[in-house]
Amino acid sequence: MKYLHFTLLTICIVMASCTIEKTDYGAELGIETTEFIEFNEAITTNSGDYNISIAALNGTFYKGYNEIRLKITNSNTNELLENSEITFLPILTDANGNKSSSPHQYNLTYNATEGYYSGFAVFTSETSTTISWQLYINFTDGNKTHAVNETIIVEEQTNKNLNITAFTGNDNAQYFIALVAPQSPNIGQNNLIAGIYRYNKPTNVAGVFPDATQFSYSIVDNYTLLLDPRMPEPSMGNHSSPNNQDLTQQTNGLYQGVVNYTMTGNWTLNFILKNEQGQTIKGTEVSTAFTPGIVGAKGELFIDILF
Amino acid sequence: MLFLSTFVNAQVVEKKKDSLGGVLDEVVIITKKNKIKTDLKMAVSVDEFLASSANISFIKRGAYAWEPLLNNMSTERSMITIDGMHVFGACTDKMDPITSYVDSNNLSDIEIKSGQEGGLHGATVAGSIDLKRKSTPFDFAKKWSGGYQTGFELNNNQFFNLANASFSDDKLVVDASISNRKASNYFDGNNEEVKNSQFEKLNASLGVAYKTTDLSSVRVDAIFDRAKDVGFPALPMDLSLSRALITSIAYKQFFEKGIVKVWDTKLYFNAIEHYMDDTNRPENLVHMDMPGWSTTYGLLSKINLQKGNLSSEVQLNAYNNLSIAEMRMYPQDRSERTMFAFSWPWVTTTYAGLSINNLWDISDTSQLNFGGSLGVNYNFSKYVEFNRIFHPNASQEKIRFLPSVHAGYNFDVYNFNFSFGSGYGHRAPSVSEGYGYYIYNSFDRFDYIGNPDLKNEISYEVNASAGYKTKKGSIHAKVNYFYIDNYIIGRILSLGSPMNYQSVGVKGYTSLDYATLFNFSINAKYTLLQKLHWQGTLTYARGLDDTKMNLPFIRPLSYQSSLHFSHKKFGFLTSLNGDFEHINYSPLYGEDETPSFKNFNVSADYTFYIKDYKTVFQVGAENLLNEFYSTYADWGNIPRMGRNIFTSLKINF
Ligand SMILES: [Cu+2]
Repeated sequence: MKYLHFTLLTICIVMASCTIEKTDYGAELGIETTEFIEFNEAITTNSGDYNISIAALNGTFYKGYNEIRLKITNSNTNELLENSEITFLPILTDANGNKSSSPHQYNLTYNATEGYYSGFAVFTSETSTTISWQLYINFTDGNKTHAVNETIIVEEQTNKNLNITAFTGNDNAQYFIALVAPQSPNIGQNNLIAGIYRYNKPTNVAGVFPDATQFSYSIVDNYTLLLDPRMPEPSMGNHSSPNNQDLTQQTNGLYQGVVNYTMTGNWTLNFILKNEQGQTIKGTEVSTAFTPGIVGAKGELFIDILF
Repeated sequence: MLFLSTFVNAQVVEKKKDSLGGVLDEVVIITKKNKIKTDLKMAVSVDEFLASSANISFIKRGAYAWEPLLNNMSTERSMITIDGMHVFGACTDKMDPITSYVDSNNLSDIEIKSGQEGGLHGATVAGSIDLKRKSTPFDFAKKWSGGYQTGFELNNNQFFNLANASFSDDKLVVDASISNRKASNYFDGNNEEVKNSQFEKLNASLGVAYKTTDLSSVRVDAIFDRAKDVGFPALPMDLSLSRALITSIAYKQFFEKGIVKVWDTKLYFNAIEHYMDDTNRPENLVHMDMPGWSTTYGLLSKINLQKGNLSSEVQLNAYNNLSIAEMRMYPQDRSERTMFAFSWPWVTTTYAGLSINNLWDISDTSQLNFGGSLGVNYNFSKYVEFNRIFHPNASQEKIRFLPSVHAGYNFDVYNFNFSFGSGYGHRAPSVSEGYGYYIYNSFDRFDYIGNPDLKNEISYEVNASAGYKTKKGSIHAKVNYFYIDNYIIGRILSLGSPMNYQSVGVKGYTSLDYATLFNFSINAKYTLLQKLHWQGTLTYARGLDDTKMNLPFIRPLSYQSSLHFSHKKFGFLTSLNGDFEHINYSPLYGEDETPSFKNFNVSADYTFYIKDYKTVFQVGAENLLNEFYSTYADWGNIPRMGRNIFTSLKINF
């Protein structure tokens, strides 16, 4: 009897080990994406008696949307500088020496509880042999204004869920859409968060560099971003998902909607940007037909993601 | 001696209860105890055996693993168990009904109960099919017995070998069996090869019982089943490998005095793995991996009570099942990211239920059979985000209470026998109905989505039968009617778009207000001459939804008639069976009109002795006229097998 039990037990153990392993779902979702939640120091610089430190997710500036947290410490007193007025301007210099900028928050917001100044920058390209980025930061301490500039490295964003797109709208303005979240999507419902920005064309002649009026961007307010996700893979036949919600603006200025991903893989987020009056700024409706063997539909305005 | 007599008594009690309790077909089957064979063929598969029952029909997706429909209802509505143990298939496409995990040589009997009477092992609507394993009783004298069957079927080159052996003495019983079947593609009535219809199956079972005291015993059982390289011509995929291990340990205690006669408790575990394969289908646009797993732990404890004319069985059933199915689609450019999703997102089903069945012998000519059950069914979807894509408010956990009651009265008047019965019961949605995600149904070519918050399906049922018996023959008619509230079926969703490239849309499991089902059968037997017997069966069924549209997979008027003649060591059988035209088909659910067909079959057997061992040799032909046909329930109208000449040899030791 004992021997028999032993035999049966052995069979059980042999069987319990399956021929094909079950998929580790958590690992499966992380193959193409990494989620960064910690802010680490990306750069630090000294200017006179002050130490300026900027933190970003993963301690790195990436192409696309970056939330930044800036701290200024008085190196004499070792105290954080509070209630300063801080301006923040990223400048891109190309191979010909032309200077431009990208969407950013010019006046940083002071967060009293955490003691830092927050803002964002949407870098439109990564640092390369021909492209370099500088940050121009002004801050006040008492009545005195200090200016700092520092070269930074903008890294390539490998996570496609943080892609950006830039385009000229039907109103001739230049727009930017940057994906902010989810960094690592799940199958199912995801809160899709994006920033929408516009370049404000300068109305005056350029002053002394860096003249902020020449590099002005603003958050686009009260627009709607219509969403139609599709899978581009031909065998998926223009597959889409149900129960998605268009993106509308939240109190923090970002736009939020809901995207449902039915499976992992490549997805195209087709957008139509509409202004407050409901006029289309950019984007076209895409076919909803099921077309096996044909690449999924992409409209005039879209961002590709992958997870 | 005392123990033995108790044992035998208990067996008798059980049998009597079974045979009287079941109004429908199992009476016929009980008489075939220990003989899983049909009139036509002595070496049959489990499916072929089941097919000989009037209230079983089949959805066929190929030559292997047919899905049994009981009272014209699919496996979600019936309860299929092995010795009362719950086993759940691991295939989202229903390639593996539980009947595919046993073989005819490890079974002694298949008990079919219609409607709520089958609720003893768990909640059901259609009834229950219990596959009873061979279990040799203890014996004073040491005894060895066994059997060996081999055979060949010409149409698909099926070659099979089935062997079983039993040992018994007064302390120990061992039952073992092994079987192997291997078949190539079959040919239809136009002599055309039906590609991807091959199969190979290996099944082994071992049972060991040990008598612990005069009145108690322990039994350990295991079944191992492996099917590989199984083609499903009606599906876009085949099966590369399926393995099942079904184990149990049971303790049985008899009581000499008092009203409790037997107490039988069993713990069981079974695990199934199922791997589909599309690499033999070059027509497929997408390569997919679709593995599935199903693991079940359970407890079954029952006591048989008897006092005076009343005998009862009380049963506690509890089980926990985890069903997992994955799909991974490969893009045309294989260097690209694969597309992954769960088609069963780790769905747990936990059930506990108490049921009772009573038989009251009111008089020698009348019995009342009544009982009921109450079960609690708990579902948990680990990755509920899949379910929330289509049902944003889907609950991750769901508790359902599943009550049932039934009663039947059976009486004899002269040569007549009548019975009337009624039942009421709930069932919970199946894993696919509740939690399935983009399960492609190649019959109507829709992707199916489950809904975790479906209501319980509630069945109200009435049944009746009337029979007349003389020395020369008998005639028996049975009828039942089901009114099913919240009938679960797939309805086209306006949401979403297909995922499988062959599909044309998305259907969601939805509850109809109600549906009705009517089943009728009449069976007659007549002894023409002492050795010439005739028997015939006619069945009719009708199923309608709440808008009086036809339900799918309802068998049209069908018949079966056979003539058996025996002379000395020879036996001859001819049979004719067929369906009439399928008029009441359901275009809404992907059906089209199926013409009538008839099959003419013959067989002959010869019994002789090799030494002292009884040996039977049989040769026969199914579909002798090589008719080209497919039935109403052949998935995708795949043609059935054409003429099939079979031979088999059976030796009993
Ligand atoms: Cu399968």
